Amino acid sequence: MGQWLLQQLERLGAWLVHTDIGLSLLLLVGLSMSLSHVFALLANRLTARQILVHLLLDALMLSLAFLLSSGTDMVLLTLFASRQVSPSDVLNGLAPCLLPAVFYVFVAAPYVSDLIALVIWLMVHLNVVSFLHARFDLPPAEALLLATPGYVLALLLVWVLFRQSWRNSYSKLASQLSG
Amino acid sequence: MAAPSAAAVRVLQLSQRLNLRLFMLVMAVGLGLSLVGFGQLLLVLTAVLSAADLGLLLRLFGVLLLVLIPTAGIYSLVTQFAFWEGWLAGLPQPEQIFAGLSSPQRCYVIYLDGIHQLERDHPPRVSTFLALLEARLQADTRLVRGLEAYTVLPVALAEDAGSAWFWRRLFALQEHHPNGLVQLLAAVLVQANNVIKVGISSDRRYGPILNYELALKICLRLAEVGFRRDAGSELVLLGYSGGGEMAMGVADYLRRLTGAPVRIISFCGVFSGNQVLDGVAAITTIVGSRDPVAAFGRVAYPGRSPLLPLSNWNRTIRSGQVRRATIPGMNHNGQRGPFSERFRGQVIQQVLAALSQP
Repeated sequence: MGQWLLQQLERLGAWLVHTDIGLSLLLLVGLSMSLSHVFALLANRLTARQILVHLLLDALMLSLAFLLSSGTDMVLLTLFASRQVSPSDVLNGLAPCLLPAVFYVFVAAPYVSDLIALVIWLMVHLNVVSFLHARFDLPPAEALLLATPGYVLALLLVWVLFRQSWRNSYSKLASQLSG
Repeated sequence: MAAPSAAAVRVLQLSQRLNLRLFMLVMAVGLGLSLVGFGQLLLVLTAVLSAADLGLLLRLFGVLLLVLIPTAGIYSLVTQFAFWEGWLAGLPQPEQIFAGLSSPQRCYVIYLDGIHQLERDHPPRVSTFLALLEARLQADTRLVRGLEAYTVLPVALAEDAGSAWFWRRLFALQEHHPNGLVQLLAAVLVQANNVIKVGISSDRRYGPILNYELALKICLRLAEVGFRRDAGSELVLLGYSGGGEMAMGVADYLRRLTGAPVRIISFCGVFSGNQVLDGVAAITTIVGSRDPVAAFGRVAYPGRSPLLPLSNWNRTIRSGQVRRATIPGMNHNGQRGPFSERFRGQVIQQVLAALSQP
C-alpha cells in the first residue's frame, strides 16, 4: 500500500512538473480574476490579512474552475472525437488560450467593466475553439460543439464563486450604508 | 405647468426621433471623416515607416489605450477607497454634521454642475444662469452652489490629494499653452476625470461608496448654510448633464442622512437610471429637443432601455414619479444650450414650475 502510494505521488509530481506552464497560467488567471474584486473586500473594511486570504482562496477556486473546464474538454475529446489526449499536453495547450483572462484585473474599472469582461470571455472561448481545431484537426463546428460545455461549466463556476464572494460584499456594503 | 396636448406630444416625440437620427447621421459622418483623416495620417506614416513598423506602432498604441482607460478608472477608485478608509481626512459622522446653530430655510436647491466643472467657481455663463435663477426663487428657498461634485474632499481638482501636481499642470497647459490642440487635449483630460466619476457613480459595485461620500459632502455644505434635520425643510437636487447622474446617485443617501424629502430636477441630464429612486419624492427631467448628449445617455445606459422593464429607472417611471419637460430647439451646450441667453429663461421657467409642484 505504501509503495503504491509513493508511486502515485511520484507520478503526480512528474505530471505537475510536466504541466508547469498550464498550471502556472491557470493560477495567474485565477489571481487576476480574484484581484478584479479586491475593492469589494476593501469596501467591507476587512483587515489586510483577511483580504490576502480571501484573494488567495478565490484565486485557487477560480483556477480549479478552469481546471475542471479543461478536464471536461479532455473527456469530451476522448469520448466524442475519439482523440488520444495526454492531459499535461492538452492543459499546456489550453492554458495559453486563457491568456486574455490574465488581464481580467481590468474588470475592476468602473462602468467599462462589463464590456471588458464580455470581450475577455469571448476571446477565451474563441481561443479554445481555435486550439481544438488546429491541434486535433477537428472541423470548426465540431470544435465549437466540444468546447462549449467546458466553457459553460467555467462560466457557471466563476459566476457562482463571484456571487458568493464579491457580490455579497458589495450588497453588505450597500445595506450598511442604507441602514 | 399646463399639460401638453396629444398633438404637441406627438410633434415632440417625432422631433426627438428625428434628433436621434440626426445624431446618428452626424456620428456616421464624423466617423467617415475620421477614417479619411486616419487614412491620410497612415499615408504620411507609411512614407516614413515600413509596414511592419507601422503595424507594431498601431498595435502598441491600441494596447496602450486599452490599458490606460481601465487604469484611469481604477486610479480614480483608489482615491475613493482611500477616503472611505479614512486615509485622507476621515469620514464625518452623519449625526455630528448638523449639530451647530442654524437658521433653516423651507427649501434648499442644491446645484450640481456638469462635467465641465473644474473648480468651485462655475464658468461665467453658469454663474449668470444661477444668479438669474436665485433672483426668481421664493424668499424661503436657498440656492446652494459651488459644490464640487467630482472630487472626494471639499476641494477643487487642483487641490486634490495625490494628484494635485497633475491637475495643476493640466490647467496650466489648458490656459497658457500656445498650441490650441494641446489646450483642447488638456481640457478633454480634465473632463475625462469627471466622466470617470459619473461612471463610478452609475456602477453597481462602486456607486454606493462614491454617492455616500458625495452625500456627506453635500451635508457638510448644507450645515454651513443653516440646514437643520428637524426643521421640516425640503431638498431639491438640481443637476445639469452629468450632475443629473450625481443627483440621482446621491438622492437616497441624502434623504436618509438629512431626514428631509428629496426631489430631483435635471436639465440636459445624462444619467444611468441604475440608482435607487424609490424614496425620491419626484423627478423632473428637462431636456432639449436638439440635445444629442442627453439622447446618447438613453442609448449608452442599458438601465434606461425599455427592453429592461425591471430596471430601477423603468420602475420609477411606472410609479409615476417622473415628469418630463421638453424645450424645443435647445441643445446640450453652446449658443443653443441651457445657459445661452436664448434658452436660459425657458430653463429657469421650467425649474421654477417644477419647484412649485406640490
